[in-house]
Amino acid sequence: MTATATDVTTAAVSARGVSRAFGSVQAVADATLEVQPGTVTALIGPNGCGKTTLMLMLAGLLRPDAGEIRIAGIDPRTDSAAVRTAIGWMPDQLGSWDNLTCLQTLTLMGRGYRLAKHEARERGAGLLEMVHLSEFADRPTRVLSRGQKQRLSLARALMNDPDVLLLDEPANGLDPRSRVELRTLVRELAADGKAVLVSSHVLAELDEMVDEAVFMSKGRTLGDEIADKVADARRRYRVVALNDAALKAALTDAGVPFDEETVGAVIRVGDEDEAFHALAWLMGQGVRVHRFGPAGSALEQTYMAMEEERR
Amino acid sequence: MTLVDQNPAPADAPEPAPASSAVPRAKGNPWLPTPRGVWLVTGIELRRRRPSTKGWIFYGLLLALIIAVGVLLAVVSGEDMTSTPMEMVLVLVLGAGMLIAPSLAATSVNGDSSEGVLAPLQMTRLTAGDLAIGKLLASWLIAVVVLLTMTPFLVYAFARSGWHWGELVTVIGVILLVVLTSTAIGLAWSSLAARAVASVSLAHLTTGALLLGTLLVFIFTQPLVSETVTDTSRSVDYEALTDEQRVAYENWDWSEVDPATLPCVEGQSDWSYGVPHTERTAWLLLANPVVLIGESSPIISYDTWEQDGRAAPGMFAQMHSWVSDMRIGPSEADLAGQRYDECAMLVADANGQAYDDGWQEQQSTASVYPRAPWIGLGVEAVLLVGSVWIVIARLRVPYKKLRQGTRVA
Repeated sequence: MTATATDVTTAAVSARGVSRAFGSVQAVADATLEVQPGTVTALIGPNGCGKTTLMLMLAGLLRPDAGEIRIAGIDPRTDSAAVRTAIGWMPDQLGSWDNLTCLQTLTLMGRGYRLAKHEARERGAGLLEMVHLSEFADRPTRVLSRGQKQRLSLARALMNDPDVLLLDEPANGLDPRSRVELRTLVRELAADGKAVLVSSHVLAELDEMVDEAVFMSKGRTLGDEIADKVADARRRYRVVALNDAALKAALTDAGVPFDEETVGAVIRVGDEDEAFHALAWLMGQGVRVHRFGPAGSALEQTYMAMEEERR
Repeated sequence: MTLVDQNPAPADAPEPAPASSAVPRAKGNPWLPTPRGVWLVTGIELRRRRPSTKGWIFYGLLLALIIAVGVLLAVVSGEDMTSTPMEMVLVLVLGAGMLIAPSLAATSVNGDSSEGVLAPLQMTRLTAGDLAIGKLLASWLIAVVVLLTMTPFLVYAFARSGWHWGELVTVIGVILLVVLTSTAIGLAWSSLAARAVASVSLAHLTTGALLLGTLLVFIFTQPLVSETVTDTSRSVDYEALTDEQRVAYENWDWSEVDPATLPCVEGQSDWSYGVPHTERTAWLLLANPVVLIGESSPIISYDTWEQDGRAAPGMFAQMHSWVSDMRIGPSEADLAGQRYDECAMLVADANGQAYDDGWQEQQSTASVYPRAPWIGLGVEAVLLVGSVWIVIARLRVPYKKLRQGTRVA
């Protein structure tokens, strides 16, 4: 199969069989992913698995050795100017012009995107407000803390009002409140129709932010088998009862498969409706349930399972 | 393609649909510099280098010092026209420019990259050409500021130098070109080397190679272009002198004896040596930036400078004279070898004539020999264009290759 018109899909970001080596190090061996407009996709994997390299290739900064990349249907190799107008990229490396103020930084960035001066300034001021840096608008960026620089970097990525957002470790260094705000912001951006690809290893946070997850290991994106694992992890419910023995007896008698835990048990339910019925049934059996809910972060469970397989 | 086949698209891949976007699309992967892009990058770079309060104080002190030196020179020097202050200012501008601008440029690409501020700019619509030329101009403009700082001194020096306006403008233009080229070389090293230390040293080494290297190569290649010349001598044959002649010769008294009648003997102390054909290697000197400045400055005749309304030949004029001498190469007479002729000297001396070896004539010829700035200008232009080309090629994204030991950003 070669790159033909059929490769052009509605996906805002699509990569197929992408690879890239640095000398003898194969940073990305075989990566395939798609991000649809209006959705948030997580890129998850251990340190050094090629997440950043893949992001750089998607951003059009690095040429893949093989494979096809399309951003909003455009090939960054041949039409990088168009790709750049469509992409907002937040790098994992924090960098800012020390001597310039936050507002100057954003204004100059906006002019790099060929916005008129006043337009860039207005947009910059608006974005500073959005990331809660308005009070620093006229102060040099060197006074910013790590988390504040991270927020400035996010504002910078949004200067050109991109259709596609690539966020590389955006939650690094953010305080808890900023993390919650980041989550809300990312969901809002997706609701505006932007396609968001976000890499992070704070998995519990991604759980509430993302629609899809792509796992990467040793330069490869893991396909359907890992998707099944995520789906399975999403179905896991932890039940803890005051009378533990009665809980396990009830489950065993009814032939319900469950994972035995040190405290309570983990059962699998299809959807929220099924969860309700399961809880009602357990109560009816006289089990004194005091905790009933999803068994932790689905992404985290999958990640751990993947890591274990690797060993 | 197998790579794609191993990773089939999801079964429910959507129907082929045209890429939908309302954003007006730019086409292609442009790299040429654009006026507004260059202007923007220059502005960003200059804003980033805006001096702090301490910087302004330092700059003010420097300016005061320069004015003080100018005033001092005006007071202590005499009334006569002199080109020394002029040459001093020009050398200072060249020296400062060649030290400052390349140092700034040499950390401009790799420094930005390790600070993580290069890639975000590359992600905008700015082209590689915009970034390269903008950074080049920003560093070069700092050297122009140095020149502007020198203006009070320059005006004074010019007033006393006997130069014409046009000549001053030409020389300053050439100096700024030389500084621009050195800046571009610094920038090129910065885009090639991963670490700032390496690129700064390499930039200064390149400048040093142009300044000293050309001179050294010129000197050390002289044996290769040398021709062996034998000096001959003719002297009075002491043994064959008659008693009368011997008395006259020993007392240097030619009242009785005609010196032309003395017996002479040839070739008693001949010796051979190499005469370099410097006209074959003089282009090496002409490639030297300092020689280029000299070759761009006005010709001052050793003979007629006073009538011409000029100051006495200064450093630049001497340099031009020396370089011209090298360009002319050895004369027929030089290649024929020296002829030490005691007998002829005796005759000339007895007749009250001076023995002329033609050295002074040679000096005056060399001082008004036509100027040759074109080789130097050509070298500067080639280095400038080549360096800028390297920088643009290295700044184009998507990167094929990265600087050894670096990450994108």
